[in-house]
Amino acid sequence: MKSNRSLRTAGTALKYAAIFVLFAFLLFPVYWMAVTSLKNNVESYRIIPSLWPEKLSLDGYRTLFQDGKFLIYYQNNLLVSALAALLICVISIMAGYALSRFHFRWNLLLLATFSFSQMMPVISRLISLYGILRRLGMTDSHLGLVLAISATQVPFSISLMASFFDGIPRDLEEAAWTDGCGRIKTLLRIIMPLVVPGILAVGIYSFLMTWDDYLHAITLVRSPALWTLSQGLKLTYMGEVSDWQLINSASILGALPMIFVFFFFQKYMVKGLVAGAVKG
Amino acid sequence: MRTPSAGTGRLFFRGAGSRKRQDMLFCVCLLFPAIVLCTAFILIPIVDSVVMSFTSYKIANLTKNRPGEWNDFANYTRLWKAGKLQSAIGITSRFVFWTVSLTFVISMALALILNTEPRGARFLRSVMMIPWVIPTVITGLLWAWIYANPYGLVQYLVHLFSGGRITDFGMLNGKGTALWGVIIAGLWKQVPLMTLLLLAGMQNVPDDILEAAKIDGAGYLTRLIHILIPYMRSMIAVSVSMCIIENFKQYPLFATLTNGGPIGATTTLAVLSYDEAFVNNNYGSGAAVTTVWLLVMIVVVFLFNMIFRREKQ
Repeated sequence: MKSNRSLRTAGTALKYAAIFVLFAFLLFPVYWMAVTSLKNNVESYRIIPSLWPEKLSLDGYRTLFQDGKFLIYYQNNLLVSALAALLICVISIMAGYALSRFHFRWNLLLLATFSFSQMMPVISRLISLYGILRRLGMTDSHLGLVLAISATQVPFSISLMASFFDGIPRDLEEAAWTDGCGRIKTLLRIIMPLVVPGILAVGIYSFLMTWDDYLHAITLVRSPALWTLSQGLKLTYMGEVSDWQLINSASILGALPMIFVFFFFQKYMVKGLVAGAVKG
Repeated sequence: MRTPSAGTGRLFFRGAGSRKRQDMLFCVCLLFPAIVLCTAFILIPIVDSVVMSFTSYKIANLTKNRPGEWNDFANYTRLWKAGKLQSAIGITSRFVFWTVSLTFVISMALALILNTEPRGARFLRSVMMIPWVIPTVITGLLWAWIYANPYGLVQYLVHLFSGGRITDFGMLNGKGTALWGVIIAGLWKQVPLMTLLLLAGMQNVPDDILEAAKIDGAGYLTRLIHILIPYMRSMIAVSVSMCIIENFKQYPLFATLTNGGPIGATTTLAVLSYDEAFVNNNYGSGAAVTTVWLLVMIVVVFLFNMIFRREKQ
């Protein structure tokens, strides 16, 4: 009995030790990024690193706000991601509803094609995508970028949205139809309000994923005035001589909105991700 | 007119034949934007790039809108003879294998621990997701700073723990360690999502069966292998396939951390195709790499699903 209890205590201790190690691995780098952004480079470049800045320095942030580039990248990225998220929501509400409610044979084929195309590496289509956008006169523009990155997220978003529509009973549409409500009105007024959690999940997920885009921006957009954050970070701040305080300040500012968005909408995100994974 | 009929019960608006046609029309209208967008920006480019891989397609073809010329597989043979393809396939496979298996093992451990509801489980579950929401390029920059040589944290820790024997350790500068540098950064970013999915899978495991097994004297490992994992099979299959695809596609981490170096030690298929196409401006050659890449990826995902399905029986 006694040995059993000590065994259990040892097990619990081991469990908490494992939690500590794993969470140190996941969270310490974030802490390190924050701390480095608050240290001046003289302190960062010491042989023995300090865990907390001896002298708080906001030089990194000050430079970013004053150099006239960072804020533009930031603004561009917000614009591109917000537009893409909006477009993805509209498209996936329409297509998700169609796939959930109508079971024509070619719908299945369509779904299979969509999920297959989602597997494809981005680079494999960038080369000819560039050519296509050139013909449409949309290279080096935010419009082309928004369309291109929206297309990458649409397949997953559609199946995610469809799984939310699946949860709404069909009797509602029958009833609306009997009351003389048209198809579009039924969708907009009766069904859509019920899938708001799904719309939020799709919208936030798309926002996160398009904020993460690097490859599309770097190949399709050339003018520095149109660069997005990831692109600007890589091309402007990651130079030959790296100013680590500046880079870490920029990283913190680039990561914070995503962290806030996630914590704020966590409930919807988690549910959506799990539903989407099971479905996809 | 609006009498429900059993025959068309699969349609949402029950009714006669004309209703079916209307349904179809409505359905097509709803799907139209999605189809146009995905066809124009995903399907056509993929087919186009496979075609392009058999032609000589350089920057002049792009600017003058000229189709490429058939060149008897020259893109493939040139890359093969230079040994670039073989080396990139090898490095990609190593990267995918280690990243996916370590992500799975760590995530499974973390999910099992969090599933026992330790103190603060709810809080831990949400802060756990932070690495996942941090953009990939920023992940790259962050780990580049941790690995930095000189001044980086890893370099200092290595110095400290080797008792001062190893100074000047550059994780990303050594041919042997650079790939591991990227793998660790990839793990950091991907463990949270996999843990979240596996935790969700664990919710489907019935408690009473686990409890009964425990009373029957089944040890922890027995319960894990014979009850928990079989019940989680589909979630494991989904999350691991997602992880395989994700890592086959990985490019931004390589771009920020190593750019394929040192001396090609981290040149995966992604890096090779990008360099061929957008650095050397040899689009046909880049397309050849991506075609090989697609094939390898499809084969791997297919094999994984085959093996996973067979084990089930």
